[in-house]
Amino acid sequence: MTLVSVVFDLALVVATMLVTATLVIVGPRRIAAAVRDARWRLEVCLLPLAVLAFVLLVRWSTVDVVIRLERRVVGNNITPQLFELEQLVFPQNPVTVLQTFASPALTEFFVFIYIYGYAFLLLFPFVAYFALSKMDDLSTLILAFTANYAIGLVCYVLFIAYGPRNFDPLLFEPLLYDVFPQSQSLTNQVNQNTNVFPSLHTSLSMTVFFLAWLTREKYPLWVPISGVLAISVVISTMYLGIHWFSDVVAGTILALISVYIGRNYTIRGIHRSIRSYLDSRFGDRRSVEQQ
Amino acid sequence: MKRVAPSVTRRSLLAGASGVGLSALAGCSERFWSRAENASPEQVELTIKTVPADDDAIAAMIMSQLRENLQAAGIAATHEPITEAELYRDVLIDGDYDVFVVKHPGIDEYDALHGLLHSQFVAERGWQNPFHFSDVGADELLERQRTADGEEREETLTELFDYLLETAPFTTVAYPDRIGGARENLSLSRPPRQAIEFVDILSQEFDNGPFDRPLEIGVYGETLADRLNPIVVDRNRVQGLLGLLYDPLARRPTVDIHGSGETATYEPWLAEQIEWDDDSGLTATVTLRSGLRWHDGERLDADDVDFTFRFLEDTSLGDVEGTVPAPRYRDRQTLIENTNRIEVIDDRTLELPFGSTARPAAVRALSVPILPEHIWEPRSEVIAERQTRALVADNDEPTGSGLFEFGETSMDELVLEPFEDHVLRSTDVPNRPNALQNFSQFEGIRYQIAPNVGAMLDALADGTIDVTANAVPPDEVTTITDASGVSMTTTSTTSFYMVGYNIHHPELGNPNVRQILSQLIDREYVVSEFFNGFAEEPTQSNALFGSQGQARLDGTESTTPLSVFPGSDGEIDPERVRQLFVEVGYQYDDGALLK
Repeated sequence: MTLVSVVFDLALVVATMLVTATLVIVGPRRIAAAVRDARWRLEVCLLPLAVLAFVLLVRWSTVDVVIRLERRVVGNNITPQLFELEQLVFPQNPVTVLQTFASPALTEFFVFIYIYGYAFLLLFPFVAYFALSKMDDLSTLILAFTANYAIGLVCYVLFIAYGPRNFDPLLFEPLLYDVFPQSQSLTNQVNQNTNVFPSLHTSLSMTVFFLAWLTREKYPLWVPISGVLAISVVISTMYLGIHWFSDVVAGTILALISVYIGRNYTIRGIHRSIRSYLDSRFGDRRSVEQQ
Repeated sequence: MKRVAPSVTRRSLLAGASGVGLSALAGCSERFWSRAENASPEQVELTIKTVPADDDAIAAMIMSQLRENLQAAGIAATHEPITEAELYRDVLIDGDYDVFVVKHPGIDEYDALHGLLHSQFVAERGWQNPFHFSDVGADELLERQRTADGEEREETLTELFDYLLETAPFTTVAYPDRIGGARENLSLSRPPRQAIEFVDILSQEFDNGPFDRPLEIGVYGETLADRLNPIVVDRNRVQGLLGLLYDPLARRPTVDIHGSGETATYEPWLAEQIEWDDDSGLTATVTLRSGLRWHDGERLDADDVDFTFRFLEDTSLGDVEGTVPAPRYRDRQTLIENTNRIEVIDDRTLELPFGSTARPAAVRALSVPILPEHIWEPRSEVIAERQTRALVADNDEPTGSGLFEFGETSMDELVLEPFEDHVLRSTDVPNRPNALQNFSQFEGIRYQIAPNVGAMLDALADGTIDVTANAVPPDEVTTITDASGVSMTTTSTTSFYMVGYNIHHPELGNPNVRQILSQLIDREYVVSEFFNGFAEEPTQSNALFGSQGQARLDGTESTTPLSVFPGSDGEIDPERVRQLFVEVGYQYDDGALLK
């Protein structure tokens, strides 16, 4: 019940943000054009979308297996190492430093950013790139997201890590669930509390920002907006005691890798090279040039 | 007011910035070197395992103080958070830990220490000696309190606690008060946890009752309903739930006052009558109620009871060399002298032989949940080394004999339906337990599972739940008192926060070291700062070993040295603690405690 109301709230707020941003950044003309030939656009990015959906489906359907693998078979708990590394490198843990500025207003802001701002940041580029005259940027975005989720999933199996709020409540404040306890019914759906390394909040947000920079000529206004939002999301994950600084660094690296993959490969290209590899390997001389 | 901006030249700004940069780097490298040097292989190292703050914030706070104090004492202490079910697995099954901090559910009687500490259980799983403690002196006293009664038992127990002060196999930090909230019309005397306390609520007469709806109970946590196996320990749980599904022969009532040499009162549950006889060794003749049935309609008879005790002793039922005992209730099963000599006289009657065990300890065997033979017998199949199917089964649709049967479960709820065929639901049965006088004012029970405590308390304020049944942290008390139509209740409890030591660790095998480690938590500070006063500090020797709330015991006033904190306000005085370690033969090098 609470989950439904949290999701409903989220949908309402994010939809409002999306509509406003679309009108301002994309503009009515582009929207009208995009809606007119939506069919063609959808057809072009159907394959990448299917792959993204497939990766998300795998993530969702293997939760039980992944938890068992992660906790019982691999069992690689790196939380103490993350904590000690940061003690070693910094005179004071970055999360502690951020939390010294804590105030009710700031907490409200970051909770908003962490949940609503993040959802908006992830969804808006789909709309924006859909409205462009070519579907290249949208394909890049989808492939980069796919890479984020796929690599993230592998990392989560390999590393058990708890965030600062779970590690030591005397050193770090668990701000998010103090202010907005219901949100955990949503976050529990999406992820487990042992999956903090790397931070997917960071990697997906930074991916959006990096792509915004690469498409700055088409949407100049989106660069500063996505930049401010992405940085805020990154800070919010630490301010709210959910992620370590290390998770954020790892998340940013993951974003760079994902953007690289998104720019330099296409699903069709990957598909073709796998096929030609298999063909040459098994001597099947069917046409390789079909697609 | 006039503001004058200080004039900043570029040079001074640059100088300042580079100064800050350099000093930050210097601090960094100093840290790096001192850490690198301290981590010499000679230093004593300890890893503390406890649950993440999501599962139990207080345990994480106690761990934090312990870690800081161990580090100040020169020990390389690290901390590994690990989720509740996995912690139980590491500590209670695999023995894979150095030090752990956990909330122990509390013991039911002094005799429970027999299971916790007797060396007979070093190789067993569950709360049976998870510390691998083996001490002939302690063994002898633990056995003697079983066979003694009256004054002799009291003296033996006092002697046992004196002995434990010396050997310190584990540490008790504090006894948290149970805090709970309920709708005002329920006017509860205590927040419920155990099955019998839920029965008490259901039997309470209300002004506007009885209700034709289930009692709505709020709990929180993850995967609470995934494993409903009553004999395993590696699971998250809803307290009291399995007690409602599985009936024992007899139950301890909520309030019971008796001396430590006397026998506690038990209300007959599945049993109609229990007759004790100690002519030649103690025996109990149990007569079951007539017409007992399992939730699936099968008849419950004396063979099921006999089976339960044999099964707890060896879940492989003799299929392997040696045995595969159940991780839970195993200690209570050992009260029975020999499970092969349990005599089933007819469908409703059987004789339990206790040998030299005396009644104060022996009665505990009656509170074991009785399992249906037709379901658990097939689970005796051995599936891996020292592993039977019974120990890995999720038992996600439990069939018991309790007043409630399992209805359905989803991620955010678990429903128990009334079991209409239960004999105790009719009012004209002989020896009907007093607790059931007005049973039941609700139709079934519905557990609403919230993701965390805040969401559970929101549900209480909204009126969607009647009562909370999970720990409410002390800093959430105001959330309950501020809500309208809701009342807060607290009660002292027997559950306690425990620090356990793995005796197989080279340093922790030394009782002198355990004694010093037991002193490194400031219990007074913990109670006032972490619990905001909603807890009790152990002040007697029996309370220092998990036995607060048990029958009064004379001669337990002395608590030194365990209760002496060598420091103040939660922080140790490093010099004093180092002195303690030096006195027992340890050495320091550059502030590091050496092996």
